[in-house]
Amino acid sequence: MMAHATRRRLPIQAVAGTVPMILVSVGVFIIGIGASVLWSFTSSKLFPAYDFVGLQQYRRLWADARWLISVNNIWIFGLLSIACNMVFGYLLAVFMDQRIRQEDTFRSIFLYPFAMSLIVTGLVWQWALDPNLGLQQTVRNWGWTDFSFAPLVDAKTAIYGLVVAGIWQGSGVTMAILLAGLRGVDAEIWKAARVDGIPTWRTHLFIVAPMMRGAFATAFVLQCVAVVRVYDLVIAMTGGGPGIATTMPAVYVIQMITVRQNVGQGMAGATMMLLPILLVLALGGILAWRRKRKGVAA
Amino acid sequence: MARAVSPRRKWSFTVLAWIVALLLFFPILWTILTSFKTEGDAILFPPAFLPPHWTLENFVEVQDRSNYFKHFFNSVVISIGSTLLGLVITVPAAWSMAFSPTKRTKDILMWMLSTKMMPAVGVLVPIYLIFKSLNLLDSLFGLTIILMLINLPIMVWMLYTYFREIPVDILEASRMDGAVLWKEIVYVLLPMAIPGIASTMLLNIILAWNEAFWTLNLTAANAAPLTAFIASYSSPEGLFWAKLSAASTLAIAPILVIGWFSQKQLVRGMTFGAVK
Repeated sequence: MMAHATRRRLPIQAVAGTVPMILVSVGVFIIGIGASVLWSFTSSKLFPAYDFVGLQQYRRLWADARWLISVNNIWIFGLLSIACNMVFGYLLAVFMDQRIRQEDTFRSIFLYPFAMSLIVTGLVWQWALDPNLGLQQTVRNWGWTDFSFAPLVDAKTAIYGLVVAGIWQGSGVTMAILLAGLRGVDAEIWKAARVDGIPTWRTHLFIVAPMMRGAFATAFVLQCVAVVRVYDLVIAMTGGGPGIATTMPAVYVIQMITVRQNVGQGMAGATMMLLPILLVLALGGILAWRRKRKGVAA
Repeated sequence: MARAVSPRRKWSFTVLAWIVALLLFFPILWTILTSFKTEGDAILFPPAFLPPHWTLENFVEVQDRSNYFKHFFNSVVISIGSTLLGLVITVPAAWSMAFSPTKRTKDILMWMLSTKMMPAVGVLVPIYLIFKSLNLLDSLFGLTIILMLINLPIMVWMLYTYFREIPVDILEASRMDGAVLWKEIVYVLLPMAIPGIASTMLLNIILAWNEAFWTLNLTAANAAPLTAFIASYSSPEGLFWAKLSAASTLAIAPILVIGWFSQKQLVRGMTFGAVK
């Protein structure tokens, strides 16, 4: 990177190139997020107002059963879908690494779910998990008459229906990332492990997987982003139901703003959603700053 | 790793790959097949795999009843429009970051990329109010702007990673030969950057095509693209599976076709350039 920096023309051109980009990002994100956070401390109803009420909206938010369910749901959805995606993605990647024929075809097919709109994904899975049309009835029709798999109709299990769709959507792209990581592992490692008589699964678990930290981190970040933003899948698949069983933070905030016309509390929810990401960013910033200082000192 | 694989094992792996691929692809395939069935056949039991009576009436009816092509056209306009608009802003930015980096360049890039991780609800209300006061709600122009904004970080990041692969020596050589800046850009940089720009455009078009959060919340009947249209079709009329499938099929068909031919670029884009 520094090699690029040695000789350059007038920096004014570089500045002129980046300024619109930075202006746009700053304008939208900083001002937008700033306003949202500000309104979360007010008693705004249908329209934002500026009578500050301190932390009242947050207190109300955390006393709202609907919000608690949302937070609970996003944990279940996030943990389960990320864990399953990682496991399935890794298995698929190991499997694709066997140099099977027409690898490109398979990669395309495995990636299709990720390239599709979550609205369509939600609809397709709503249908597939419909007790009278989808999987359950089909399997029953094959003769297994008491087969039962209709998570969406029961409030207790509906969230797992969303997880199924999430796995279908995300495992292919995880595979693509992990496959690239797997291909980057030195072939000698495999030979050495075989010579030492280490079983294949242990080589995978204790030698190869730790070497692919970068690929796993990329996949993990990508999935986390998808989980925090999850909105359209819920809207298309369950609409937050049955009842409020599958409501998610983003759905909650939108409902707060539109249906219940309580911008203040909605913004408190939105701020809570921003918080984890801001914390991670701040942490990253502090770490980078400390590293830089150490570099200067040394 | 290039481990030797015996032909028999390889063959069995290929068969297994087909089974996994079919399982993954089945929901999509089923949607496409259902779109060619009559409503009656779509809920038939036992389900018929291939449509017993092939028909195009679903497509006709979806168009007749809700003017499907208007929404299709909206999708095309906003995804291509936002991509072109985005290029105008991101190409100069990525260019200067890649070829005249400063100490802060990496920080700025990471910061921009991190805005992509923010939940969109955090900025919805301010943007909604701005749009309302500017009369941009439910307009194609407003939607194009907002889709451009949300995809800017990915675009600039993608372009940056592509531009970084262009050897700076070539640019310097052309400068030595007396090329002025615009000539350097048009004749030297652009031809080498075209593949990168093309993949970035492709990715952005797909992202904009699939975007649902903003399209659902900022549009009504007028500017609704396909995602919002299909979502509106879903809940109350949930029983019309064949028609819903027809609408969905038309919405994903472009993605399936583009995805098939540009799988490598897609992987790279969707993993933020982590997979080359």
